[in-house]
Amino acid sequence: MQDEAAAPGGRLRPASQLRLPPAGRLATYALLVVVVVLTALPLVWMLLSSVKPDTENAAYPPTFLPRQYTLENYQVLFRVSDFGSYLRNSAILASTSTLATLILATLTAYSMTRFSFPILRRLGELSLFVYMIPPILLLVPTARIVVGLGLADSLLAVAVVYTAHLLPFGLWILRSYFLGIPVELEQAAMVDGCTRFGAFWRVVLPQATPGIISTGIFTFNASWSEYLFGATLLTSGDKMTLSPGLSLLMAASVLVTLPVVVLFGIAQKQLVSGWGEGAIKG
Amino acid sequence: MSARAALPPARSRSDDRAVAFTFALPTALLLLALTIYPFLQATLDSMFKLNLSTRAGPFVGADNYLVLAGAPDVHAALWRTLEWVVANVAIQTVLGLVIALLLNAQLRGQTIARALVLFPYMVPAIVVALVFRFMFNDITGIVNYLLVSSGLLRRPVAWLSSPDSALWAAVAVNCWKYTPFMVIVFLARLQTVPLELYDAARIDGASAWAVFRYITFPWLRPVLLIAMLLRTIWTANDFDLLYLLAFGGPLSSTTTVPLLIRALAFGKQDIGMASALALCAGAFLCMAAFVYLRLYQRSERQLQ
Repeated sequence: MQDEAAAPGGRLRPASQLRLPPAGRLATYALLVVVVVLTALPLVWMLLSSVKPDTENAAYPPTFLPRQYTLENYQVLFRVSDFGSYLRNSAILASTSTLATLILATLTAYSMTRFSFPILRRLGELSLFVYMIPPILLLVPTARIVVGLGLADSLLAVAVVYTAHLLPFGLWILRSYFLGIPVELEQAAMVDGCTRFGAFWRVVLPQATPGIISTGIFTFNASWSEYLFGATLLTSGDKMTLSPGLSLLMAASVLVTLPVVVLFGIAQKQLVSGWGEGAIKG
Repeated sequence: MSARAALPPARSRSDDRAVAFTFALPTALLLLALTIYPFLQATLDSMFKLNLSTRAGPFVGADNYLVLAGAPDVHAALWRTLEWVVANVAIQTVLGLVIALLLNAQLRGQTIARALVLFPYMVPAIVVALVFRFMFNDITGIVNYLLVSSGLLRRPVAWLSSPDSALWAAVAVNCWKYTPFMVIVFLARLQTVPLELYDAARIDGASAWAVFRYITFPWLRPVLLIAMLLRTIWTANDFDLLYLLAFGGPLSSTTTVPLLIRALAFGKQDIGMASALALCAGAFLCMAAFVYLRLYQRSERQLQ
């Protein structure tokens, strides 16, 4: 590293930064703007449409900024549909299955990396293989099990199903995380008097936090957004698509998106680093 | 303190092993009951002529598979799935690469751009479908309005309601939602490029293209292949977005394999046929996965 590589602040400039000629820099910025606009347009459109009155949403030519702002769509949404209860159900479902997946995947991934259980390894591989089969195929046998257990139309049953479907992926990510944490660290802790669980809790878990967070985001996002199994196993779940009126649906869209947005905003950094160090380390 | 300075006695270590196995047991049971058992059940079902509601029917051996092999709508769906997967994975990989490089280029406003660009991955499929159905509306949709009024199109296109364009409109929507996955993965990998390589290239006066071609791309390649493999599996098996966007229509023009399986299982109530088709599709995906993994191993070896 020569002095010329140092940025004005004294910090080393990331080496990936190549010195582009001004024209190249301008072109790069232009490209970035295009990407950002194309990404943002549908989101902005959703937000704007949700505060336009019905008549304006159905009008041609469409208006970009609302001529008239209204929160009526949101009010109608809650009045006409059971939107509040859909929202509550989704929240219960997504948080339960995320929590269950994280606890089970963390414990199992740790057990699998620190001890050798050939049966568990085979099982993990087999369940990853099942990923190749269109999930819709699993729907019928799964529904039969759920109904057979007398758990038809139960949030708990769907949470268990989601957990089972998300586990292989979670296991896979966390396994590579735990493999990357030196065993010597826990051994040192155990020599110093920690129990095995103490070493796991105090030494290994903090090291694996980025992996656990990115797995958690993936899991929450997947179960919050899931449609097929939810719509089939919960007979009250599919009404949302029938909500009358386009703008009504637009208002719903904003509310459905909100929780993952908040989560994403909090953990955006972890997600990027998590994916890098974990699953797809290569 | 010196008495402590030894590894725990053997007995407590075998206790640990028992505890570890107990920890893993619930996971094992769940996977057995809800992924592996349904899979085996479906394999069995594929050899029966089975009705969905009565669950009764005779053993027919390989008949379901033979019928599938000769059915034109199955061929069409398989071919369509191939188009759907290749178009999606190719576009998402190229766009993902370009956007990841852009977001990694230390530009001003990069943090906000990064958060925004990754955002669509977090928007649920139902919401994506609703928003784009609204935007792609033939008459009042903003897409047609913008394209026609800017002179890019002569007359409005019936994006999602014409058999010629529905699948490609759906590809565009799918790329909007899932390119961020590629960006997340590539960005993460870009953070780990060994800096010495760039320094060496800079000293040698390498051009930007040479740096990408000989340093950045080879470094990305293993991760690129794994991400492509995952997206291939997920895109081929994806049901939610395509179904909610176009319901398989118009005129079956968006009926990929998972949507055909649904039609067979719940429309025609023929579980045997649906299971057979799903297993065939799974076999094709396994072949694709095999190719990806071979390429992956080669790219890893080249890095070393």
